[in-house]
Amino acid sequence: MANYNIDAKKNMTYDAIVIGSGISGGWAAKELCEAGLKTLVLERGRIVEHVVDYPTMNKDPWDLELRGALGPEDLKKHAIGARAGFVGANNEHFYANDEENPYTEVKPFLWVRGHQMGGRSLLWGKQCYRWSDLDFEANAKDGHGVDWPLRYRDIESWYTYVEKFAGISGQALGLPQLPDSHFLPPMELNCVEKDIKSRIEKEFPGRVMTIGRAAHLTEPLNGRGQCQFRNRCDRGCPYGAYFSSNAVTLPAANATGNLTIRPYSIVNSIIYDDKKGKATGVRIIDAETNEHIEFYAKIIFCNASSLSTTQILLNSTSERFENGLGNDSGELGHNLMDHTYRVGAMGRVEGYEDNYYKGRRPNGIYIPRYVNIDEKTKTDKFVRGFGYQGGGGRGNWSAGANQEQFGAEFKDSLMKPGPWEFFITGFAECLPYHENKVTLDKENVDKWGQPTLAIDCEFKENEKAINRQIKADAVEMLEKAGVKDIVGFDNEHEPGYGIHEMGTARMGRDPRTSVLNGTNQIHAAKNVFVTDGACMTSSSCVNPSLTYMALTARAANHAISELKKKNL
Amino acid sequence: MDRREALKKTALAAGSAALVPSLFSLLQSCQQKPRLSWEPIFLSVDQAELISTLVDTLLPKTETPGALDVKVDIFIDLVFAKLFNKEGQKAMITEMNRFDAFCSEKYRSKFIELSTEDRKEFLKEEESESGKYNGKVWGTAVGVQKPVGFYRTIKSLALWGYFSSEEIGKNVLNYDPIPGEYLGCIPLSDVGNTWSL
Repeated sequence: MANYNIDAKKNMTYDAIVIGSGISGGWAAKELCEAGLKTLVLERGRIVEHVVDYPTMNKDPWDLELRGALGPEDLKKHAIGARAGFVGANNEHFYANDEENPYTEVKPFLWVRGHQMGGRSLLWGKQCYRWSDLDFEANAKDGHGVDWPLRYRDIESWYTYVEKFAGISGQALGLPQLPDSHFLPPMELNCVEKDIKSRIEKEFPGRVMTIGRAAHLTEPLNGRGQCQFRNRCDRGCPYGAYFSSNAVTLPAANATGNLTIRPYSIVNSIIYDDKKGKATGVRIIDAETNEHIEFYAKIIFCNASSLSTTQILLNSTSERFENGLGNDSGELGHNLMDHTYRVGAMGRVEGYEDNYYKGRRPNGIYIPRYVNIDEKTKTDKFVRGFGYQGGGGRGNWSAGANQEQFGAEFKDSLMKPGPWEFFITGFAECLPYHENKVTLDKENVDKWGQPTLAIDCEFKENEKAINRQIKADAVEMLEKAGVKDIVGFDNEHEPGYGIHEMGTARMGRDPRTSVLNGTNQIHAAKNVFVTDGACMTSSSCVNPSLTYMALTARAANHAISELKKKNL
Repeated sequence: MDRREALKKTALAAGSAALVPSLFSLLQSCQQKPRLSWEPIFLSVDQAELISTLVDTLLPKTETPGALDVKVDIFIDLVFAKLFNKEGQKAMITEMNRFDAFCSEKYRSKFIELSTEDRKEFLKEEESESGKYNGKVWGTAVGVQKPVGFYRTIKSLALWGYFSSEEIGKNVLNYDPIPGEYLGCIPLSDVGNTWSL
């Protein structure tokens, strides 16, 4: 496997440079390499080779000194990751060092980063949902933000294309607001989920509950194994059963012989040649030696992750672009979005005491958007909508902490599974507000002397109104489904928690109000492509990664065809 | 709140009073006082004895191993040493002293010197006084978690240490590191005890 070519010094000039190797960068590398382009991927962190560099993939709790918990020193290093709630000894090596990579929270904002080959594709939630024209037309219809320069028909075949290679499991439903993917067989709902599904669908016509659509293989694909239901994805999967750059796209790119991946390469800026009227290369700082190096290419793909891409563009100044590359509109850095999250309801389910399940399913249930999808479902409380994720299962010994019991019988009772529990948590669409923004902070530089980011972003009234309905509807649905001891909750978290940060270099039809055109090219520097989350013009209420994949494959193939026509 | 206030007031006084054990407690202590067979890395020997006694009362040996059989007390000492920051360590010691001070005030004996019955009686009261954990979604508490008391913290750590131990995880609960499939609805009788992972 692998043996990546990491010796970039052999050659300073390539056909293409891809900045970043996460979900979108991996796709750019694969498409460009397969088209025969000599491609340099610049990764700011270390190499993480599939399987070889997954040190915790087979560790049980007792194999880890503190059973998987992190001590104060590690928590300091992962202060942001720990706030998000997902970091532990099992996966901390895939979370960036927050101490070494500071940013300023003008308002509270959680920026979770993965600084290694594969980026956050090793850590993501793997939920994959297509957008529909309900999403692509939303800005144009209600006037928030600018119109997307594309529609579902422009991206539909690219969704299919990436899904066939990535492998998405799920259930086809034929819903207009949530188009079906090219699916592998769905994972199974458990008994309680099936019961609640049928009750919700009966009590609330128009609402459906389905198994999560997820980038987990439920049958082998292209030499990758199917999910073994260990639910240890964020340690790296030895079977390659979930989609990551490390397991899927980068090995494919590497197999062409056209890939060079240079680790420890922090991109300082993109070089723009005023005379040629295009970008000619990239300046990097070697994270280990602090050496400054320039690499050159015909086309440059920005896939550093939403905010890092924008940070690079803002730092790429020239006579032509004194406020950052491609920032003629003044929109670069603006219109930052995320999803609201951790608002919903949970409760206890009676019955099914004699039923259990086998396997740790790395997936839950999904309730697609049902509000504001047509005239009949229109609300005057807010624009846009929300969907729910959640799931059911039986409690275990950890519930014992709260039980007012102890001693022999108590201990023995905890050996058996506890009552069934069920929860749903909403994901709300966030509007693109010009004033939600990132700016370069030249006063505060990191250990490499790079300006850091100041993030100034908040949820506003529309998001709060959606959250109120998410909570109320969640409680009502659980009540009607017969769930007991229901607790409605809204953690009122700051943006960033969803780890779906989007926008800041949006696509649009008009160069005066957007940074990128309909094929993800910087309007005034067409050989620079931005296909990570920075390009997003609105946020939908569904998880965005599948759309990044499709947009990247589409833009890369556009780049290849434009190169052939000598247009770039 | 009243109790918390009372604890604050009694903590110091009881701390000194405990140095002169009453005749009553001396009589009781003869058969109950545990002996540590390990060397704590964070706790004092007295504190470690309290933790050992407490976790043994919570999770005693039955047909299945007890907390002490799988070294839950040693694990909790390690947790205090390695997972708690300085502030947390200090708070934990303060709370531990209050716990024993309150016990001394009530029974005129430290917790480890109580009879088994008195220990249970005392812990029953702690159960209702020590706060509760909020529910969690994907590892994060929902709502605003209020601080929980010493007893609830130790109970939670004891359960964690016990059920995440190799002996319980592999040999008592159902251990299946590679299920290979997901079956959403099977008879519980096919499985028996809960899955350990």
